[in-house]
Amino acid sequence: MKLLPLILKNVFRKKARAILTIGSIILPLLVICLMGTFLRLLDRPDPAETRGMFRIVTRHKVGLASPLPMSYAEKIQQLDGAFAVTKFNWFGGKYIDNSARNFFARFAVEPETLVQVFDDATITQGSATDWFNDRAGSLVGEDLMKKFGWRIGDQIVLIGDIYPVTIQLTIRAVYQLPDGDSDALFFNREYLEEALPSFQGKVGTIWTKCRDGAAATRLSDEIDQMFENSPYPTKTETEKAFQMGFVSMLGNVKLLITSLGTIVVFVILLIAANTMALSARERIREIALLRTLGFSRVTILMLTLGESLMLALFGGILGLGLFVVGFRPLKASLINTPLSGFATAMTLFPEVLLLGLAITIFVGLFSGLVPAIQASMRPITEGLRHIG
Amino acid sequence: MTNPLIIVENIVKKYHRGAEELTVLNSLNFTVHEGEFVALMGPSGSGKTTLLNLIAGIDRPNSGYIFVGKDEISALSEDKLAEWRSRHIGFIFQTYNLIPVLTAFENVELPLLLTPLGKSERRKHVEIALSIVGLADRMSHYPRQLSGGQEQRVAIARAIVTDPTLLMADEPTGDLDAKSAEEVLILLERLNSEFKKTIIIVTHDPKAAARASRLVRLEKGILKEDIPTESLDSARFAEAASVFVEARPK
Repeated sequence: MKLLPLILKNVFRKKARAILTIGSIILPLLVICLMGTFLRLLDRPDPAETRGMFRIVTRHKVGLASPLPMSYAEKIQQLDGAFAVTKFNWFGGKYIDNSARNFFARFAVEPETLVQVFDDATITQGSATDWFNDRAGSLVGEDLMKKFGWRIGDQIVLIGDIYPVTIQLTIRAVYQLPDGDSDALFFNREYLEEALPSFQGKVGTIWTKCRDGAAATRLSDEIDQMFENSPYPTKTETEKAFQMGFVSMLGNVKLLITSLGTIVVFVILLIAANTMALSARERIREIALLRTLGFSRVTILMLTLGESLMLALFGGILGLGLFVVGFRPLKASLINTPLSGFATAMTLFPEVLLLGLAITIFVGLFSGLVPAIQASMRPITEGLRHIG
Repeated sequence: MTNPLIIVENIVKKYHRGAEELTVLNSLNFTVHEGEFVALMGPSGSGKTTLLNLIAGIDRPNSGYIFVGKDEISALSEDKLAEWRSRHIGFIFQTYNLIPVLTAFENVELPLLLTPLGKSERRKHVEIALSIVGLADRMSHYPRQLSGGQEQRVAIARAIVTDPTLLMADEPTGDLDAKSAEEVLILLERLNSEFKKTIIIVTHDPKAAARASRLVRLEKGILKEDIPTESLDSARFAEAASVFVEARPK
């Protein structure tokens, strides 16, 4: 601890360089934390497993754009292990305009079965009964209510694009899911069927709540086998796998993010190592002086490593602090972009912050390692003769 | 005569420059007694700084023995030698070697960081050392705020703050103007006479050598002359010095 003031003075000996190096740690660390948050979201345990929901999703094998016959839902409902089944249709359309800000998920659903399948959701405003009783009513996510400043009873007009119809909805209930992904709007499919008869008999995805985990696994295969030779073959996945399917459309995103993260860490390491190498080279005589005074090789090693660690920690702690402080504004700003799906699920994961701290310590120690060894091993007389 | 403090026996020191081997000290024998003030003189390359470094334990001989007090420092491990230096050696350099980001106080305090002394004790020691060199009022000044002479006096305070057995000075007046050099020499003389410090000084300056009690002259790694300075008159000093100066590379 006696040497701490000396280490601190050495860290800020060249203020401009120290600030630039700290900056070069802060910014990549913010990117790493963001990447880590995204990865963590992808790796988040399946809510169907953790909360005992055991939900599976069935869609057309070809893709989400191909609908399934409505009768499939009834057939699935009759399978052993299926507790409740509900139907989803992606409505799309536009709210006010086509801007990213006004984009959110809109589904035509069966209200009664929806709340059975998603029984982990809680109604925070209004009531499910109000929604059931109003064919033009809608159920809106808590996050969406906050984003648009809506209140119960507000009117929402959606102009269809996939379905050429304009629908006017009244907010009757507000839901909140435990994982925070409460950013969609649901309305009664009967309203759409009335307005657009051609819509009848088609369903986008069928969500099944299974009795238990074993049933969820078994039913996934059973459903697909049941429709394998029909004109509408299906693909059934767990809820989590279904969500991941969107991401996998972009390729192996996890691998990509991990690779980019590794490159970013390596870049920080190179920058910090360069600073430490410069710093150590400029102080060859000083280090020789310290050794003349009796500082041992180990002490010199600790001083140099302490300096690189301190430099990295300044950057790391500032970077992590900025990430924590800027997290909410960042999340809010992303909600109005095409990344809104990701943004609404964003949470300040402690493990991401710990990863950031671990990277900081790794960079701090490894960037100073070579200069520290060189400084401690150089003969004193050679160091004293050095002209730097 | 006091007890021998330093005994150098058959010291050989060689350096390698590529394939070439240079013998800097060749079977040198040398003794310094407690309380002596020894001036090492000789042309550049004669081995005087190498001898100083060997006695200070910052370099190692190829063969031979160096005893300082009861310690055979030529046989100590790297870590033991570092610890030994911190207790027994005060080193003064030609270029002061103060750390620019530390104040005069902090520079002087550096060697004390290796001791178990607490903060208040360290402060007391530093204040005493700085007052001995006449810079008690410059404690919070950074090296850039001091003159060359003041910087060297801070360096001397750093060398004496641990009350070492030996003070080693490598051309301590080499970078100073005549007035500052004189002040530093007076200070060294005082440390020797008043504080009984054993001092070895490497110098090309006859005025500096005249302050010493003994003059040792090296040439090509061999001890050529070892005489008490009181036996030399000023003419002989000037002559000795001129020999050295002429011998220095132009």
